[in-house]
Amino acid sequence: MSARVTVALRVNGRAYERVVESRRLLVDFLRHELQLHGTHVGCEQGVCGACTVLLDGEPVKSCLMLAPQAHGHSITTVEGLAGRGELHAVQQAFRDAHALQCGYCTPGFLLAAVALADHGVALEGAALREELAGNLCRCTGYQNIVEAIERYLRQAAGGRRDG
Amino acid sequence: MKPAPLEYLAAATAEEALAALARFDGNARLLAGGQSLVPLLSMRLLRPTAVIDINGIRGLDRIAAGDGVVRIGALARYSALQASAVIRERVPLLAKAVPFVGDRQIRNRGTLGGALCHADPAGEMALCAVTLVARLRIVGRAGRRELDAEAFFQGPYTTALEPTEMLEAVEFPDGAGAEAVVVEHARRHGDFAVVSVAATGLPAPDGSWRWIRIGLGAVADRARYARRASEGLAGTRLQPADVEAAAARCLEDAEPAADVRASAEYRRHLLPILVERALGELARRRR
Repeated sequence: MSARVTVALRVNGRAYERVVESRRLLVDFLRHELQLHGTHVGCEQGVCGACTVLLDGEPVKSCLMLAPQAHGHSITTVEGLAGRGELHAVQQAFRDAHALQCGYCTPGFLLAAVALADHGVALEGAALREELAGNLCRCTGYQNIVEAIERYLRQAAGGRRDG
Repeated sequence: MKPAPLEYLAAATAEEALAALARFDGNARLLAGGQSLVPLLSMRLLRPTAVIDINGIRGLDRIAAGDGVVRIGALARYSALQASAVIRERVPLLAKAVPFVGDRQIRNRGTLGGALCHADPAGEMALCAVTLVARLRIVGRAGRRELDAEAFFQGPYTTALEPTEMLEAVEFPDGAGAEAVVVEHARRHGDFAVVSVAATGLPAPDGSWRWIRIGLGAVADRARYARRASEGLAGTRLQPADVEAAAARCLEDAEPAADVRASAEYRRHLLPILVERALGELARRRR
């Protein structure tokens, strides 16, 4: 018990350990302690979803967690998606559908979409929009984001059937 | 927009959490899902000396049915409530209310107990608890006590919980066979309710209804059980005239405030409309 605590966790499969102030938000821990700047800080009050990461596979807002709460857990950030110079399928779908403009909200959307595919969810249209309600985009009007994610989810479901 | 310095303690058991609460003498906050607490810390509307993380307490998220009640651990997350067949079948009102809470990310973290202790007058969990006369099981160092939801909520963001106590579980009456409807008017889906209405009841084979309960959210300083309106519907078939009378009676329980989301007048205007909508939908479930 102290104003500083040790946080040991896995991020994108790699183990990290840092001693930080207890009040450190998880998003700031990722950005400032681990130099993983792909997770964006938006509203800092849990509304915009730009800071969405996966906590043990589930999408959460990393501005709504203190870093010590992630001790012993496994986090996936946008840096964990692409492998060996190749875009992740969801990133490729965003590229193909022109689903980003300024890009600020994109990492959050990507992780929200990955969680859906991981859970075998293949939504579209209004149901998908509702599922994505925790991620705000101020540029695109959402049309292309929804299209990209629909495309990615269909592809992921097809891959599972073939596999 | 960063929390003020604080101490962090992860409690492994309820006893540890209670001991820590006592040690900080009312200046510590329990941290469950954190979906309301962490923003309050970041905005420095709250500056506790310490937060006591209860996420590691085993079994505090258990959902179990038995003895005529469904007992839900305080740490049960919204996403767990959504996934639970026990909740869907035996506390259908709660199952109907959860989708109105926040968004996927919020529901993955937020907890039933946290929502009740936060006591937002517009909160859907408090609305369900009051409507169904849930029993809140509270544990302190001196022992356990139970309170009805109506006695637990004392005002906006104010409960009967002592600073050294914690909410352990909530018992909802087993509502197997009941129908339930939640209607809500919000400025955006998932946003805080401007007005919300919960309605539940048991349909009888002859078309009449019993155990009708109507709850009103965001029209007073806490969620309200519309007692007179509900009792007036016992044994009726929820005909349009019954529904209209109940909707008018619900206004007697409303003392809405004006805030950034709506004027008091607008809330009074909305309330009977939403009550009629909720009861109308409940009646249609049976036909």
